[in-house]
Amino acid sequence: MNPIEIMVSYWPRMLDGTLMTLKLTILGALIAGAISPWLALVRSHGSLIAQTPIRIYVSFVRGTPILAQLFLVFYGSGQFRPELMELGLWNFFRDPFNCAILVFVLNSTAYQTEIMRGGIQGVNLGEIEAAKAIGMTRMTILRRVIFPHAYRIAWPALSNEIILLMKASALASVVTVFDIMGRTRQIFSKTFDFSIYLWAALIYLAITSLFVFGWHRIERRLNRHILPRNNANAVS
Amino acid sequence: MIPMDPSGPILSAIDIRKSFGDVEVLKGISLDAKKHDVISILGASGSGKSTFLRCLNFLETPTSGKVIIHGDEINVQNGQPKMSVPIEDIRKRLGMVFQQFNLWTHRTVLENVMEGLIHVRKKSRGEARSIAENYIERVGLSQRVDAYPGHLSGGQQQRVAIARALAMEPDAILFDEPTSALDPELVGEVLKVMQSLAEEGRTMIVVTHEMAFAREVSSEVVFLHQGKVLEKGTPDEMFATPKSEEFKRFIASM
Repeated sequence: MNPIEIMVSYWPRMLDGTLMTLKLTILGALIAGAISPWLALVRSHGSLIAQTPIRIYVSFVRGTPILAQLFLVFYGSGQFRPELMELGLWNFFRDPFNCAILVFVLNSTAYQTEIMRGGIQGVNLGEIEAAKAIGMTRMTILRRVIFPHAYRIAWPALSNEIILLMKASALASVVTVFDIMGRTRQIFSKTFDFSIYLWAALIYLAITSLFVFGWHRIERRLNRHILPRNNANAVS
Repeated sequence: MIPMDPSGPILSAIDIRKSFGDVEVLKGISLDAKKHDVISILGASGSGKSTFLRCLNFLETPTSGKVIIHGDEINVQNGQPKMSVPIEDIRKRLGMVFQQFNLWTHRTVLENVMEGLIHVRKKSRGEARSIAENYIERVGLSQRVDAYPGHLSGGQQQRVAIARALAMEPDAILFDEPTSALDPELVGEVLKVMQSLAEEGRTMIVVTHEMAFAREVSSEVVFLHQGKVLEKGTPDEMFATPKSEEFKRFIASM
């Protein structure tokens, strides 16, 4: 078979794998994105006692391979099956998709927390003082001043983190999740035609390119207040 | 709230002390501002004048002392403030204008002025907009409502900051060296706005190095030296007959 024929006969599986990769990445990034700003806030403004568990967690996640973390959760949970059944958690850990999502969330939360910490610490203190002086509550200051600036600062680094997460999601195939990589390996074991790996690479590349394009557009929109005036009009 | 004497002070600070570590920068400063007062606080750098101003709206918490705003009292002992209302309720009655303007750079001029009206005063967008436009016009920037602070000159930014403070209809406005970060040619436009506010009877407390403003616009001048009030009085008597050696030297150096 030539590379085109392969894709013609197997595209439904590859599409299925692509959707799974997107699902893993988007779900993982979003859940991590919902948790990390709050951890980052504790990390930058909290007491030392509150910071310590977050520091330990972040250094554990950063210091160990994501594959090792995945095996730890996937095979490790099997070891504790009776205990997990008793807690009613076995149904969750039985599904490799759930294990993969859990690991990706834990992983991405750690990285995003560090990224957001940098963003939060980069906010101009004068603008926070102005918000205090006008009578805003802490919550309002967070919502209206700190987070808007922190996200602008963190935006490029966040995109990097999401791309890395998307590529790391290929590891889920090792624990029998059928993402792009899982489908590719399945097809290869039937056809022994390596061109399917090239197709897989192309799909990853396409996802990354589209993502970078979209992310960059949002970045330009977020930063229109610091673009030169002429461009600022062109963007909006 | 304590019932108020209409001629009494709307803002009182009583025996404000502030230490940073072992260094006591404010050694018991008291000040009363009545309605329509324009009080200039003068002093060499390091005299504690900015710190004192920041203690009035608790951007800096005094080590001890008492601040009374419109009958609400905040009593501080050992750095622990005791207050009858949330601090936000006190702050929204005091406007503040900063040396570095501190506009929210991600929002336009109009949005900067509307922000407090919507998110503190809880006004509708429409109402906030018309109030904001009114005050932006007041500082002469109607042409620039949609500009971002980064695209304005320092003088324009400071005028927006004044409009932002005015829009909240505060009982008094605190100015923390409002012209010190400006290029010399931009100082005048900001002082002119401040002078017109004084003329319409706004209550203002101004930390400044502008002698001409202190002398001609203010109703009272306070001279701080090493964390204490060394002299105070009307500008006429203060500048005509300075009592302390320090104030004489300070005037001469300006």
